[in-house]
Amino acid sequence: MIRHNRVFVAVLVAAVLSGVTIGCASQSAGDSLVSYGLTLSPTGIDPHLNASLELGIPLSSVYDTLVFQDPETGAFVPGLAQEWTVSADGLEYTFSLRHDVTFHDGTPFNAEAVVTNFDYVLNPDNHSQRAAFMMGPIEGVQAVDEYTVRLSLGQPFAPLLDSLSQVYLGMASPLALEQWGPAEYQFHQIGTGPYRFLEYVPDDHLSLVRNPDYNWGPSIYKRSQGEVESFVFKFYEDPATRLLALQGGQVDVIGELPPRDAAQIEGSDAFDLLPVAIPGQPLQLMFNTRQPPTHDLQVRRALIMGVDRASIVRTVFGNYSPVAIGPLASNGLSPTPTNANLDFDQAAARQILLQAGWEAGLGGTRLRQGIPLALDVVVPSWGSNPEVGQLIEAAWEELGAQVRLTVAPGFGQLKEMQAAGDYNAIGYNTFGADPDLLRSFFHSDGLYNWTGVDHDGLDRLLDQAAQTTGDPDTRRQLYEQVSSIIQDEALILPVRDYVDLIGYNRRVQGLQFSYQGWFPLLIDLRLAH
Amino acid sequence: MKRGWVTVLPGLWIGLVVLVSLAAPVLVHVSPLQPVADPLSPPSVSAPLGTDSLGRDLWARLLYGGRVSLGVSFLAVSLTILLGGAAGMVAAMAGGWPDRVILWLANSALAIPGLLLAMLLVAAVGPGVPAVVMAVGLGGAPGFARLARSVFLQVKQDGYIAAAAALGADLAWISARHVLPNARPKLVSLTATHYAWALMGTVTLTFLGLGGDPAIPEWGAMLNAGRADLIGAPWAALWPALAISLTVLSVHAIADRVGR
Amino acid sequence: MVPAPDRFAPGPLAAVFRRILQGLLTAWAAVSLTFLALRLAGGDPIANLLAQGLASPTQASNLRRALGLDQPIWTQYLHYLGGLVRGDLGVSLYTSRDVSTVIGERIPPTAALASAGLIVALLIGLILGVTAAWSSRRPIGIVAGLLSSLALTLPVAVTGVLSILGLSLAFRAIPGADFLANLQSLVLPAFVLGFASSGGIARLVQTGLTESLNKPYILAAKARGLPVGARLLWHALRPALPPVISLTALEASFLFSGTVVTETVFSRPGLGRLLVTSILRGDFPVAQGIVVMAALVYTGGHILADLLALAIDPRLRRLI
Repeated sequence: MIRHNRVFVAVLVAAVLSGVTIGCASQSAGDSLVSYGLTLSPTGIDPHLNASLELGIPLSSVYDTLVFQDPETGAFVPGLAQEWTVSADGLEYTFSLRHDVTFHDGTPFNAEAVVTNFDYVLNPDNHSQRAAFMMGPIEGVQAVDEYTVRLSLGQPFAPLLDSLSQVYLGMASPLALEQWGPAEYQFHQIGTGPYRFLEYVPDDHLSLVRNPDYNWGPSIYKRSQGEVESFVFKFYEDPATRLLALQGGQVDVIGELPPRDAAQIEGSDAFDLLPVAIPGQPLQLMFNTRQPPTHDLQVRRALIMGVDRASIVRTVFGNYSPVAIGPLASNGLSPTPTNANLDFDQAAARQILLQAGWEAGLGGTRLRQGIPLALDVVVPSWGSNPEVGQLIEAAWEELGAQVRLTVAPGFGQLKEMQAAGDYNAIGYNTFGADPDLLRSFFHSDGLYNWTGVDHDGLDRLLDQAAQTTGDPDTRRQLYEQVSSIIQDEALILPVRDYVDLIGYNRRVQGLQFSYQGWFPLLIDLRLAH
Repeated sequence: MKRGWVTVLPGLWIGLVVLVSLAAPVLVHVSPLQPVADPLSPPSVSAPLGTDSLGRDLWARLLYGGRVSLGVSFLAVSLTILLGGAAGMVAAMAGGWPDRVILWLANSALAIPGLLLAMLLVAAVGPGVPAVVMAVGLGGAPGFARLARSVFLQVKQDGYIAAAAALGADLAWISARHVLPNARPKLVSLTATHYAWALMGTVTLTFLGLGGDPAIPEWGAMLNAGRADLIGAPWAALWPALAISLTVLSVHAIADRVGR
Repeated sequence: MVPAPDRFAPGPLAAVFRRILQGLLTAWAAVSLTFLALRLAGGDPIANLLAQGLASPTQASNLRRALGLDQPIWTQYLHYLGGLVRGDLGVSLYTSRDVSTVIGERIPPTAALASAGLIVALLIGLILGVTAAWSSRRPIGIVAGLLSSLALTLPVAVTGVLSILGLSLAFRAIPGADFLANLQSLVLPAFVLGFASSGGIARLVQTGLTESLNKPYILAAKARGLPVGARLLWHALRPALPPVISLTALEASFLFSGTVVTETVFSRPGLGRLLVTSILRGDFPVAQGIVVMAALVYTGGHILADLLALAIDPRLRRLI
């Protein structure tokens, strides 16, 4: 009996020791391996089918796109397409493709490959969540000859080049697409980019290895080949673990550091901080105009004026984020005019509520005809939304509202709650350099029309702006008008313009991000020696 | 003398906690929801316990949080003793196959680790206070049922119960008139212990993020929130940790004393 | 009067068989309870997929049919049980991978933590229990008793957070020490987990040893002049051990709960964190799979413990 016990204990100790050793052996970063920390773990990582932004961080270097966008100017430059022409009516785009490109599996890149890719994206059975919508009013894609492709649109579509420059419309090997099918392809991705996809273990890691054959990079790449031999991407969903991972040497680069953690490494000896402004919508709350009491414009105006946005941004984000002033970040394509309606004025807010019939009641909650001012707020769990939500809740309680805040743990749950309709304010935003992203939010037919708005003027302006391909100034003015209407109708409470806080080990140099903000140009990364 | 001093402390602490929680609106002059100073300020005159990561007063949040934690646990343990007590009594008094079935059900439920069972229940209903009450309440019922059953069995052995049965008194009447009153002291001790466990369960569930609205102060949620800033500003997590520890320990100590 | 031999005493094989059967029944009930808890409380897993836009309404109904979700709940239940026997725990709603694969990936870190925790629990429990019983009058014995009470009653969340705090303070005092590396090693989480599970063991050892120390043959040995030391301790400790072995197996249940919290506090990968994440994501198959596995491991441990006790003490066989 005692002997058995000893053996048992010995086995246990051995198991524990091996566990400890495995745990302690961190990725000994050789000179040619860079570890990169990702945040949210996506449900799927095929950029053609999935919508996650996270997947673009590694995969933007696995795929090339027809065109690329200059990270500084935003101008569109040749990529896999060495030149293109647009018909006068803006309905036909003809791309002349490069002849010298091969996929990672050796198959040649040509017009047929492009057509196959678009078919894959647009096939309704594949259920593309993002890429398909980025194509807009597309009617057909045709291979005119071996290296020429023609895209036909039903209407002019201004964001087309912007869409074509993103990883979601990156060119994949038709052979691989067919071989693996939509469910399995994400684990065996084949592109033409400077890095090859090695493997993906969900919730654990994703690895890339350098493509030695790459020499068809766009002009925006400073190098013709990657210097780093391989990349390993690991997931850190819990924000508290991110700085620890960086400081502990488990990653060399990590994004979305919490602001307080970021402050710790700024300008330190071993690490540094790179704040990257992300174009697109700011962190915001969208009001539900179909649900009382926020169906009343005056209530919405009061709720906006009763929140000290600057103070909230300072508390949660320190000095790292500008206060948002409109439906698009002020670093985006169209600067939005400031509107006095957004200024913090608690007294005025109370006055407006009173005038709307909401009188002070017992216990601090306002009543109107016996009904309390009850507000249901739903926010997602990422990007410090819960913290902002709590402070907004506090501000609205001060105004005399009864607030119930729910944090949706995932996008699925967020959408579920939105579909149920029982919310007065919901937090959500997408990113992107082209302001057309506003259309799905504020058009009466929009997929993300979570405010329930139905405004003819908005619809007209948004449709018109999507079709204005000629003159960028005209386009900007249209969006300024859109922004004005959104503010007049008090549809959103904008909080902060997104700034991604990237922490990195100083041995990594040349870190630069795409125009869209989220995706690093891995090819240009160097290691200090 | 030393003995007495140690005995009195837990009772004093519980009394203090209950009193202070009930009197929170009087003792606290700032809102637990509103920021009052810079985030993570150390204890000062204006904020005696410091502020949390959003600048809210920790003294206010601790007091109001006590209301929520203690209140939710109380509701949960009420559910536990109602369900578990009834099941235990039926099992003990009826005997035979009702006893076997109830015991088997209780043992099966106990095969699922308590916290996991509670988490599953919250998962099914959705995070929030009602879910936590139900999860903790139901989660504690099987264990309480088993222990209550033992107590009732013991009481049942008493001679005069058998005599009453022999005289033809019906089971329900015996249960109410004789068994319950005699079981009361042991049951009270059991309840107290289970209250401590309910508090533990509540605090753990909210710590894991299953508690609903994060703005509402609550000790477990505060402990979790303070975790992120532990190294730079430990007070945010320290006060809820101390409050939880002292309260749980005191309840257990009182339960031990009553049990003897 | 010598009692007549019991003709109906079960033989050893029958006892083992009966115990295993009991365990299986309990395991089945636990699995069923888990299944019911999730299904009856409502919540359509396919709705989640629809909401995320991962499936069109047609795809959703196809999926529903494929997963058997349009069948009456009894059919689904039998289906699930059948799958369980084959080792098929279903498919994750979040990543569409096999639940058994997903769980399998997370077993090593959790197993490492749990085993380490168990060893620590045994060690601390023995030390505290023995000290409390052996030196019951002296301050160190009282302290040991107090510590085992703390271990029994403090929530793991609290001990975990306090230990990190303690560690950070300790390392601030020691210049140059690597706080981070120590934080991320297995030592502290194993200690926290082990401490939390040690209370029950300590108590049991303490009562068992106290009882055994007062037995006549121990007093006789003392009278015979046996040195009051390790040898005596060992003699007294042996009879107190069998219940401890049973309890240790039972602690497996508590270890599961403790692991969930410990992994969260220390942000370690493993089944515990996967459970929390899958519940928050609404990925019921994964959550269900983990809980079912925990219940089965617990029941298995329980059976093992009872069989071990049987093997040690033939008198117990009669009681089954």
